Amino acid sequence: MAPVIVTEGVTRVYSDDGVPVHALRGIDLTIERGEFAALVGPSGSGKTTFLNVISGLDTPTDGKVWLNGKLLSRMSGNALSDFRRDNIGFVFQAYNLIPVLTVEENIEYIMLLQKIPKAERHERVLAILDEVGLGGMESRKPTQLSGGQQQRVAIARAMVSQPATIMADEPTANLDSKIGAELLDMMYRLNMQTEMTFIFSTHDPMVMARARRLITLKDGQIERDEVRSP
Amino acid sequence: MLKIAFRNIFRQRRRTVLTALAMIVGFTLSSVFIGWSDGAYSDIISMFTRNRIGHIQVHRAGYLDKPSLYDVIEGYESIGEKIAGVDGVEAWTPRIYSAGLGSVGDKTMGVQIIGVDVGREVKATQFDRKITRGAIFSDAAREAILGVGLARILKADVGREIVLVTQGTDGAIANDLYTIIGIAKSGDKATDRMACYLHINDAQDLLVLNGRVHEIAVIAEALDRVPKITAAIEAQINDAKLEVSPWQVVAKSFYRAMQADRQGDLIGRMIIMLIVAIGVLNTVLMSVLERTREYGVLKAMGTKPSQIFGVVVAEVTFIALGSIIIGAMCGASLNYLLSIYGISLPQEFSYGGIVFQTMYAAVTVRSLAIPAVTVLVSAIFVSLFPALRAARIAPASAMRTH
Repeated sequence: MAPVIVTEGVTRVYSDDGVPVHALRGIDLTIERGEFAALVGPSGSGKTTFLNVISGLDTPTDGKVWLNGKLLSRMSGNALSDFRRDNIGFVFQAYNLIPVLTVEENIEYIMLLQKIPKAERHERVLAILDEVGLGGMESRKPTQLSGGQQQRVAIARAMVSQPATIMADEPTANLDSKIGAELLDMMYRLNMQTEMTFIFSTHDPMVMARARRLITLKDGQIERDEVRSP
Repeated sequence: MLKIAFRNIFRQRRRTVLTALAMIVGFTLSSVFIGWSDGAYSDIISMFTRNRIGHIQVHRAGYLDKPSLYDVIEGYESIGEKIAGVDGVEAWTPRIYSAGLGSVGDKTMGVQIIGVDVGREVKATQFDRKITRGAIFSDAAREAILGVGLARILKADVGREIVLVTQGTDGAIANDLYTIIGIAKSGDKATDRMACYLHINDAQDLLVLNGRVHEIAVIAEALDRVPKITAAIEAQINDAKLEVSPWQVVAKSFYRAMQADRQGDLIGRMIIMLIVAIGVLNTVLMSVLERTREYGVLKAMGTKPSQIFGVVVAEVTFIALGSIIIGAMCGASLNYLLSIYGISLPQEFSYGGIVFQTMYAAVTVRSLAIPAVTVLVSAIFVSLFPALRAARIAPASAMRTH
């Protein structure tokens, strides 16, 4: 398998009122295509910071990150935007749908940035809505959906442009366990069908149980890296 | 992006309404300011030109800079006929000017002798309406009409006689006796203190001008056509010895004073727009702050900083365009009402010697176009800083905000 993400000595230091806070301390990691991996660890261990750094949302203080073979630190702001648009899908804990857009418009947003023709966008939105079990809800606004439905839309939005990697930051944290399990099943199924790489940052034992690789962070370092059989 | 910008307008309706209100009030005030100023200046110019100097004047070259008794126009009647043939000319009238001394009884005063063609002067500047006592010139010879101020100084009245002493073009001292048949009030106090009107034939006889005049004043059908008519008259006369000047050149100091006044208006408008801009800046900054997380999400998904910048600017532009439409309706309506009913001033005031009692506004293209451009430009300008802030949001930290 080809590596999707390679990090080399990634360090991230924040300044908190002039006091340096080491969020990440020289992380070396390789994630292969098609992995279903979870970053776990206690609060403040650096999970979200690491997820942000490997997706190009944050810049490491030191070290290098390659995503799909591209060194992120060499990219300009616009190039990085384009790269994220074409290579990464995001699922956030708080769903983060755009409230003024309908379900369909939220899902097609990235395809719009990719200048995909309207007819194709519409077709792909309807197909993915069926896949996440929200067929017929394309005209609704996010406020008209339950939390579970909003997270399904967020997953559909992340996946519709078929990126190589999905980064999910605590995707089940705001959902009850039944809906969380359903969504996790759905992502697992998609991972198996499409070979899309899924990287979670999570506290949720259910996600940990499903992950085929568990990367445990503590104090900004990898404490344990465990690969499990499917 | 435009869809997001447009729909964002309706998210915080109260704030959008307040922002729009600031722009609408600013537009309307600015529009009324300009409409009022245009109406007032239009009245002033109209009275100044129509009642006195005319819209265009023809002189011997150099006369305007240094008036001389000897700089005369030959064959003025044929020139007048040519002028009358120019499209847009309503009337023309010849005039003669000379300085002299006027004596009534034992009072003597320096006077300005003004020779006028009664029929043409009435048609061009409604000279008959300026007569406050007595009558206008009859066919009789040696009649004079005095300005109201001059009559007061000389303690003269209708029926008395005035002796005029001056110099003719032949170099000899010229003097004659005239019967005062009327007192005129032009509205310009300086003129009324000096003016002694004579019939053009009497003035030509006194000054030995032999059918020649110093000036031809032209009235145009519309003020805004003056530049074109001036050029057309110039082409029609086609005489290098003559100079054709629009009213702005004839009354240079009056025109400059008016332009300076308009600069004052500009400062007033800028203050109004500054207040509006500060209000708009405040609300746009607030909305960017509230949507920090959202802009972070958009950036995470691959939206370019320039596109985020565009969303913020477009949202303000949409509000500004809506406000301009409503403001234009309010401004035009108010200016229209003020152009009909005007406002009576508690105390009359005088500008350029012209006395005003009621001020009227005007509905002009300027009164809508200038506020429209100002509101749009200032709204876009003040949105640049918040837009830049939104565009530079770091997605990772933006998504940590609530």
